[in-house]
Amino acid sequence: MKENKPRTKLNMRKVEPYIWLLPSIILMSVMILVPIFSVFQTSFSEISKSGVNKGFNGVSNYVWIFQNPTFWNTLGNTVIWTIVVVGLSTVLGIILGLVLNEKFHGRKIVRAIVVFPWATALIIQSVIWKYIINADYGALNVLLTKLGLIDSYVNWTATPGQFFAWECFVGILVTIPFVTFCVLSGLQSIDTSLYEAAAVDGATFWSRLFKVTLPLLMPSLTVSTVLNIIYVFNSFPIIWTISKGDPADQTHTLVTYLYKLSFTNQKVGEAAAVSVVGFVILAVCASVYMMITLRAEKEEE
Amino acid sequence: MKTKKSPWARMALYLFVFVICIIILYPYFVMLTTAAKSNEEMYATGEAAVLLPSVWQWSNFIDIWREAAVFKYLLNSIIVAGGATCLAILCGIPAAYALSRMRFKGKGVFMGAVIMSQMFSPVVLLVGIYRLMTAMHLTNSLIGLILLNAAFNQAFAIWLLRGTFTSISSEMEQAAKIDGCGTVQALMRVLLPVSAPGIVTTLIFVFINSWNEYTIALTLISSDLLKPITVGINVFYGFNFIKWQYLFATSIFATIPVVILFLCIEKHLVAGLTSGGVKG
Repeated sequence: MKENKPRTKLNMRKVEPYIWLLPSIILMSVMILVPIFSVFQTSFSEISKSGVNKGFNGVSNYVWIFQNPTFWNTLGNTVIWTIVVVGLSTVLGIILGLVLNEKFHGRKIVRAIVVFPWATALIIQSVIWKYIINADYGALNVLLTKLGLIDSYVNWTATPGQFFAWECFVGILVTIPFVTFCVLSGLQSIDTSLYEAAAVDGATFWSRLFKVTLPLLMPSLTVSTVLNIIYVFNSFPIIWTISKGDPADQTHTLVTYLYKLSFTNQKVGEAAAVSVVGFVILAVCASVYMMITLRAEKEEE
Repeated sequence: MKTKKSPWARMALYLFVFVICIIILYPYFVMLTTAAKSNEEMYATGEAAVLLPSVWQWSNFIDIWREAAVFKYLLNSIIVAGGATCLAILCGIPAAYALSRMRFKGKGVFMGAVIMSQMFSPVVLLVGIYRLMTAMHLTNSLIGLILLNAAFNQAFAIWLLRGTFTSISSEMEQAAKIDGCGTVQALMRVLLPVSAPGIVTTLIFVFINSWNEYTIALTLISSDLLKPITVGINVFYGFNFIKWQYLFATSIFATIPVVILFLCIEKHLVAGLTSGGVKG
C-alpha cells in the first residue's frame, strides 16, 4: 500500500513527525540548550565586574575555584546534603507509604496531610522554618518553654554544623511526600495473591517485606530516588533562606555558592565554572537514569 | 499487606503516623497562628511569649494588601503560571502525540534528550540563563519567566501526556481517519477529549510548579511590581525589621490555592509520574 503512494506523500510521512516535535524542540533548545552552551563558554572567559566579556582566559576560572577551600567545603556539603536528604527521606517515605497502604481510621486525612509539603512552595516552607528556629523569639523555643522541656531559650543554630543539620531536616521533610506517593502507587500494582502465597508458606512479616514487597517496589523506588537526587542536588531556596550559606560560607551547596559568586560577588566566570562542575556531576546521574529508563522501556516492548 | 498484627504493632504504627503528621502540620500551625499575632506578641519572649495569639488580629490579613503590592504579586504569579502552562501544553501535546503514535528516526534520541533536560534545573544554568535573557532583553519581564517555566516543565508535560496518549488505543483515531478526518482533526476531536483527565493533571502540575518557582524569578525580576508572589513576600523581610505576621498572612494566600489544586490531581499525578518513568 505504501509503495503505491506518490513520492511526495512518502516524504511527507517521513517529515511529519518532526513537524509535530518542532514547537517543543524550539522551546527547549532556546531556553535550555543555549544557556548550557553559554555557561560552558562563560566558564572559559574573563568576565568583568560589570558583566562585560573580556574574552577567553583558558582554565583560570577553574584554577581559581579549585584553589579555593570554600569550593571544596561546598562540594563536600553538596555530597552530604544529597546523600543524607535523599537517603533518610527515602527510608522514612517507604515506611510511611507502607503504613498508609494499610487500612486504618483517618487514612484519607493522613494522605491529604502528607500532600501538604509537596504542594507548598519551598521558599514559603523555608521561611517558616527559619522563623521557627529563630533563637530570640522563634516558635520552637516558645513551644518547648511552654511545655516545660527547656528553661531558657536555646540557640538552635550556634554553629555551621547545626545550621546545616536544620537545613537537612527541612530538606528531608519536604522530600518525604514524593517518595511516599511513589511507594503507594507502586504498592497498588503488586498482586495480592503473592502475599497470600507467602502467607501459606509461613513467611514472617520481615521476610515478606524484604523478599516480596521491596523487590517489587524497586522500579518505583528507582524513579523516586533518581528524581530526588536531581531535585535535592539542585535545591536552592532552603539553604539560601535559612543560612544564605553563612556563617563564613560554611553551609553552601554548589547551587547557593554559584548564586552568591555570580549575583552577590560579581564573579560570573568563576560561578560558571562551578556550574560546569555541578553540570558534570548531574550529567553522570542523568546518563545512569536514562539508561535505566530506556532499558526498562525496551523490556516493556 | 493484609496481616493480623499484634496490638503493639498497631500502636507503633499509629504512633509513627501521628508523629509524622504533627511534624508536617507544625509549620502550618505556626504560619496560621503567627499571621494573626500582633506585633508585640510576635516578638515577645520568655513569660510574655504566647503559642496562640491572645487576641486574633485578623486585620493583618487586610493590612497586607495595603502594606505591599500583594494583589499585583498574585496577579503576576497567575500570569506567569498560566502563561507557562498554556505554552508548555501547546508545545507538549504535539510532541507527545508524535512520540506515542508515530515511528520515526531519532525517536530514541529525542526521548533521551527530553529525559536529560529535566536533569538540568534552572539553578545550575542560572549564569547562562541570565546572559541569554539579557541578550533577548527579557530580564525583568514576565514573558521571560513564562518562556523559562514552560521550557523547564516541558519534559514533565511530554512525559505525562505521552503516558496518557499511549494508554489510549489508537483505534478510534484510525476510524475517524477512515471517515475522512485529517490527523489534526483526529487528534482534536477524538484523542484530546478522551485524554482530558491526563491533560488536566498535566496542566495543574505545570501550573503548580511555575507558581512555586522562586530562583529564576529572584534572579531576573528587579522591579517590585513585576515580582511573582514567591519573590514578593520578601518585601516583609525587610532591612532591619521583619514583619513575620504579614509575611505569613501573605504566604497563606499563596499556599491555599496550590494545595487545593494539588489535592485534586494527587492520585492521577503519582500514577503518571511513576509509570512514565518505568514504562515511558
